[in-house]
Amino acid sequence: MPPGLDRLQHIVVLMMENRSFDHMLGSLKAVNPKIDGYVDGDAYTNPDANNNPVKPQPSAKFQGQLQPDPDHHFPAVDLQIFGKGSDPTANNRQPNMQGFVASYFNQQRNLAHSQMIMYYFPKENLPVLTTLALEFAVFNRWFSSIPGPTICNRAFAHYGTSFGRVDLNPIYPPETIKSVYTRLIHNDPKRTAKVYYYDTTSSTMEVANLLQNQPELFGTYKQFLQDCDNGDLPDYSFIEPNYSDHQSDSGALIANDQHPDHNVRAGEVFIAQVYQAIKNNPQLWESTALLITYDEHGGIFDHVPPPGCVADKFKADGNATGVGVDFHFDRLGVRVPTILISPWIPAGTVENRVFDHASIPATITKFFVGNYSADRSPREIAADIFIEPQGAAVDPARNLLSLDMMRADCPDFDA
Amino acid sequence: MVLIRVPRPPKSAYDPDRPVGSLLKSQVEHMREAESKLPLRYRHEIETYVKAVRTEGEAARYIQAVHKAIQQAHEEADRERRGLKPAPTPKPVIEIAAVADEAAERKSNSARKHPAAKSQKSPRTKPRKK
Repeated sequence: MPPGLDRLQHIVVLMMENRSFDHMLGSLKAVNPKIDGYVDGDAYTNPDANNNPVKPQPSAKFQGQLQPDPDHHFPAVDLQIFGKGSDPTANNRQPNMQGFVASYFNQQRNLAHSQMIMYYFPKENLPVLTTLALEFAVFNRWFSSIPGPTICNRAFAHYGTSFGRVDLNPIYPPETIKSVYTRLIHNDPKRTAKVYYYDTTSSTMEVANLLQNQPELFGTYKQFLQDCDNGDLPDYSFIEPNYSDHQSDSGALIANDQHPDHNVRAGEVFIAQVYQAIKNNPQLWESTALLITYDEHGGIFDHVPPPGCVADKFKADGNATGVGVDFHFDRLGVRVPTILISPWIPAGTVENRVFDHASIPATITKFFVGNYSADRSPREIAADIFIEPQGAAVDPARNLLSLDMMRADCPDFDA
Repeated sequence: MVLIRVPRPPKSAYDPDRPVGSLLKSQVEHMREAESKLPLRYRHEIETYVKAVRTEGEAARYIQAVHKAIQQAHEEADRERRGLKPAPTPKPVIEIAAVADEAAERKSNSARKHPAAKSQKSPRTKPRKK
């Protein structure tokens, strides 16, 4: 077995908020043409309200630009993906990614303002995320699970389904489908798993039901840092950022989730801190893989049409979707930045297989539990895995932790 | 590999008075649902407050109060299971500065206009924590 997989004991997932692939990482195409981003001269544009083409611009700001928060509820994302004039009831619609400017224009009826939805960050402005993308494995085809908002997309990371929801309402999972954490701690032999929320004031997003019923699954970010220092990290960790500006015992805390209009630099610092917490413990560093992803695109442009996928066994009816037709969860949401980090991954790795957040419980369950016979959603069963299981014959073409020797040239941040 | 410098956000990025967005509103709603399932002694009885949340700071205060109440309820249940004496559980109170201040102002204005109303209590607010 490849030594990187052989030594892998911990998987950590950090899920940030509401930024698209092209917005955050698109500029990297100029550095590595294998990365499916955007460079000046590419043909991709969006029509504005006067049908004039709007090109992506490297003009994204850290804060104060995306106000109001770009709409990313189901009907708005439908417009963003299929463009103006598309009829949701029509069969065989083809996504063209032509409706981002039109969607943002609908919120303020301001032509100049609507064009800001096409802004992206120059590489130099995001030194943490872009360095990690270039130094480890970046995913060209990691999509949000649903063309909709946060809560239902985060549910896919925890359960492999949103149980038919496409909105922000509380989700009450049926007993049959367990969260990935419950699967691990009830496994024989018992595994360990934790959701690390930032602090009690930021708390947890989407899984308040788990907090209520299984508080032993939760810890704070401070505890995550201690667990990294002490070598006490569980098998699987899911990290949540700080979702709000608030006072803490140590003073004023700036939200670091990168949700518009929170400061993007605060998120950069947070990502770097998570990375360094693992890297600073040599035993942990060689035995841990860190996945950084975003729950959904937040209404911001991306040029890659989301593909179709296996339908879920749940559906959202036409009233719930807001577009008058049922949604069977048979296509993915907009593409999001996703990076897999390990000292066993070659620098410059670009992965082209299709993933979505259902790949998270699929991978964790396969890696730590093995053959899991209890109920799982069709979406999760069909989702690809990003880390190959130990003990099996490993296909080199699928294994991202492929180096024979651990790297000694991985970057460090002054976080 | 050289050490990569990570620029920090400016202090001016901090704004707890930023209008609450749909995501935090939904988180407040999720926490309200969770709170409604707690034993009565852990609830805040602040339906009015939840509906009045306008800023991130206000949302954060409510989320923290419910999060701590959930933790406290579980700690107490655990003590009971282990046959230990329950710890005293003071009724949780949230400082609702904005709402309370507005109510005080209304009351003050009302008292100036209608002296007879001076002794009436506002039914919508709780006393601020001392």
